[in-house]
Amino acid sequence: MQEHVQLDQKQINKELLNGVLQMPKWWPGATAVVLVIFIVGLCAFGYMLNKGVGVTGLNRPVYWGFFMVNFVFWIGISHAGIMISAILRLTQAEWRRPVTRAAEVLTVFSLMAALMAAPLVHVGRPWRADLWVFPYDFARGVWINIRSPFIWDPSAVMTYLTASTLFVLVALLPDLAIIRDRSKGFTRVAYSVMCLGWRGTPRQWKLQAVAGILLSALVLPVFVSVHSIVSWDFAVQIGPEAWHSTIFAPYFIIGAIHSGVSAVATVMVLMVWLWGWKNYITPDHLDAIGRLLIIVATTWFFFFFLEWVFALYSLEAPELAMRDLQVFQWPWSGLFVLFLLTAFFIPVPMWLFRNLRRSLWAMFISTILVNVGMWLERFLIIIPGTMRRGHMIFDWGSYHPSLIEILMVAMTFAWVILGMLLFSKVFPLIPLFDIKEAMVGRDEIKVGRKTVPASIRE
Amino acid sequence: MHDGHSANGHDAASVSRGLLDRHRAAPIARRIAALTAGVLFLLGIAGFVIKLLDKGTSDPSAWGYYAALVSFLLTAAGGAVMVAIATRLAKAHWRRPISRASEMFAVVTLYTFALLIPLLFALPSLSDHRRSLWFFGELNVPGYMPHIMTTLSFFFLALAGLALLWMSALPDLASLRDSSWGLTGLFNRLSNTWQGTSRQWFVQYHRLGILGALYFMMLVTTHFLFSMDFAMALVPGWIDALFPATHAHNSLHAGAALMLVTMFVLRRFGGYGDYIGLDQFWGLGKLMFALSLLWFWFWFSSFIIFWYGAKPNEQAVLELLMVGPYLPIFMAAFILNFLVPLFTMIWNPLRKSVWGPTIIACGVLLGTFFDRVRLYAASWSVAAADDKHTLREVPAAIMPDVADVMMWVGGLAGAVLVYILAARVIPIISVWEQKELLLYRMHKPFHRLAEVLVLGKKD
Repeated sequence: MQEHVQLDQKQINKELLNGVLQMPKWWPGATAVVLVIFIVGLCAFGYMLNKGVGVTGLNRPVYWGFFMVNFVFWIGISHAGIMISAILRLTQAEWRRPVTRAAEVLTVFSLMAALMAAPLVHVGRPWRADLWVFPYDFARGVWINIRSPFIWDPSAVMTYLTASTLFVLVALLPDLAIIRDRSKGFTRVAYSVMCLGWRGTPRQWKLQAVAGILLSALVLPVFVSVHSIVSWDFAVQIGPEAWHSTIFAPYFIIGAIHSGVSAVATVMVLMVWLWGWKNYITPDHLDAIGRLLIIVATTWFFFFFLEWVFALYSLEAPELAMRDLQVFQWPWSGLFVLFLLTAFFIPVPMWLFRNLRRSLWAMFISTILVNVGMWLERFLIIIPGTMRRGHMIFDWGSYHPSLIEILMVAMTFAWVILGMLLFSKVFPLIPLFDIKEAMVGRDEIKVGRKTVPASIRE
Repeated sequence: MHDGHSANGHDAASVSRGLLDRHRAAPIARRIAALTAGVLFLLGIAGFVIKLLDKGTSDPSAWGYYAALVSFLLTAAGGAVMVAIATRLAKAHWRRPISRASEMFAVVTLYTFALLIPLLFALPSLSDHRRSLWFFGELNVPGYMPHIMTTLSFFFLALAGLALLWMSALPDLASLRDSSWGLTGLFNRLSNTWQGTSRQWFVQYHRLGILGALYFMMLVTTHFLFSMDFAMALVPGWIDALFPATHAHNSLHAGAALMLVTMFVLRRFGGYGDYIGLDQFWGLGKLMFALSLLWFWFWFSSFIIFWYGAKPNEQAVLELLMVGPYLPIFMAAFILNFLVPLFTMIWNPLRKSVWGPTIIACGVLLGTFFDRVRLYAASWSVAAADDKHTLREVPAAIMPDVADVMMWVGGLAGAVLVYILAARVIPIISVWEQKELLLYRMHKPFHRLAEVLVLGKKD
């Protein structure tokens, strides 16, 4: 049975602005905790800058460690916003409405976390980052190497960050005007500036709607290109043989959607628990995202299967050695089993049951498990992939993450949570105008003895 | 409250009567089309016999174009069924007038399965120790594993498609049974014990969902096996993990295009203009446009790895399939499958028309045809290479002979023929889905607008 809760505009304003106009009790404590973790991580970063990357566990031949794992992971999470917002908006899926904003914001902060994880931290000397983008030497005309992933990644990620931020801003305008009308003094001035003179005229609504659709359509190619480019950082190399595979771009993208949509589901549950928005995020919404996740997870598993089949198909010794390391050598074998269980074999069977899809706890646990699994997936691609043994035994190092790396990984998680918390204090996490539009365009049709939800189409 | 009447005055009885009457009519145009297709099909059989007598089955390079034909039919007809499955899954109401026409392509898949059988005799066994999915020599498997597995997969794909078609047509077959229009015995058998009870409808919806999922899985599996064993494994050094997925994606792309062309024919020549309107062309046109963009992405994802990596075996594969002897038809495929849709379908007025998406869809089908020719004719031309791990010498392009052309024309005509024959038995527009739509739509006044359409979605 689908739920149909009709809310009036006053109630929507009151309930959805409760995090902005009032201070939830849990908010200061939660913010303080993640802020402390973030600062500790920053200190670890400072320490690494002072001492050099020797304080990390990176070692010959494993030059890509936790930072790169984290980079790929956060890029993956960033696919949540576009998947939920752009694709569901273009396909006119009604259930998207309460989750689009949170998903878009998650995209913005996770992209920043990704930038922190790789270009900023991983390279060791971030102050020289300008050399990837600008000529090395103007006078002698030494230009950057456009065939280097160091150019591809920042270009792709910055484009995606710009587009995603625009996406959030355009959708925020009507809601900012509502807050403006309910605030006083400096706050009113600040919101007046931010809402760019929004008055809600028919022309403004039309432009806002068109901008949303155009941005949705334009951001989709960017969305596809970003993770493709990240995957090509790996796949265009012929060094680590296991990476040189044509499957990487779609495999990374579908994996990113798997982890990103799962992260959105986690955030949806948290929004119900923390802000009490159960009238807006109902079991129907969890059911819909659960169904979507079944399709996404199964497609991801198909690409995972293809990657393995072709790894074996090649019958090349280095490739087989790497697969042997991943699956049969401790501790990778244990992590591999854990990865498969958490990324697919536990959550997907759970989602097949309607009751579990509609349960807050079950969705929370299953989607957290997915992201544990997807983080491990990236770890198992990168670490055993780089741990190839050459002819020289001095090169046969392994990898043990140092405390400094662990703290910096925690820093990125703290950053995303902190960003979401701060955002929720200043802006509504559920788009008010979208919910109101849904209420206006919502109807019911009686079919036999059953009443089914309906929507108005002009 | 909703009274079950649509705004344009149709009620369930008139929809039923109108569609079944049209189904019973046998217009002369359809007879001429069936006759022409039948004659051309015979021409194709003649071409096949000529080829068999002239070349036998020992030289795989002689059968490259025939392999491309089988692949093309699997790609286009197999994918066309997915239009009904995907849109039903998404609960899109605009699918209703076209879902049956889409499911009807299952009979073409069965026909394609019949065409596969001769190809099995031309495909070499694994005893030449080529690299294959079956690890012949490493594992104790028979040398005919590709033949066995592809046949099984193809068979179950056709079976799943036919089961889906039959299940979906059950209520309409029962209507035909009850309306005493000839062939009563056949309709009695086909409609089984359908009475339209609540339980039967409940089971019907569930079975359609399950069969749709099963069909999709079989389609992906069949593309995986066929693309591997009938193309990639024949070219030494061709290791492209994305190729099976690309093959399956191409199927969805060509399937959408084939459905657009079919819709056009039904609207223009079949007398179904009242049912198949702009909504259907717009909806499917958007889908085909998105799949055209994905066509490029799938191709580029493979291409950049091979090109950037610069490994000798991968460069040789690029030379064979793209930039070498088959460059002109690769360019044609690239232009028709990607560039033309990109620069035309991006324009909303064209997308929201009947002619625009149809013309682009014809281009996509032609592009898919070129793509299959360059992949299969090229692969089958190197099947007898000595080096099993790297393609040492890129063979010259194989040009089609008269028998190849006859087989292609006859093969396509045969597909048209079986489709027309199936449409003679099963209504090409799903009557029950059209009637169901009446329950889920209503018109009502809304603010200052005169009237809006309200569409319901069931659980």
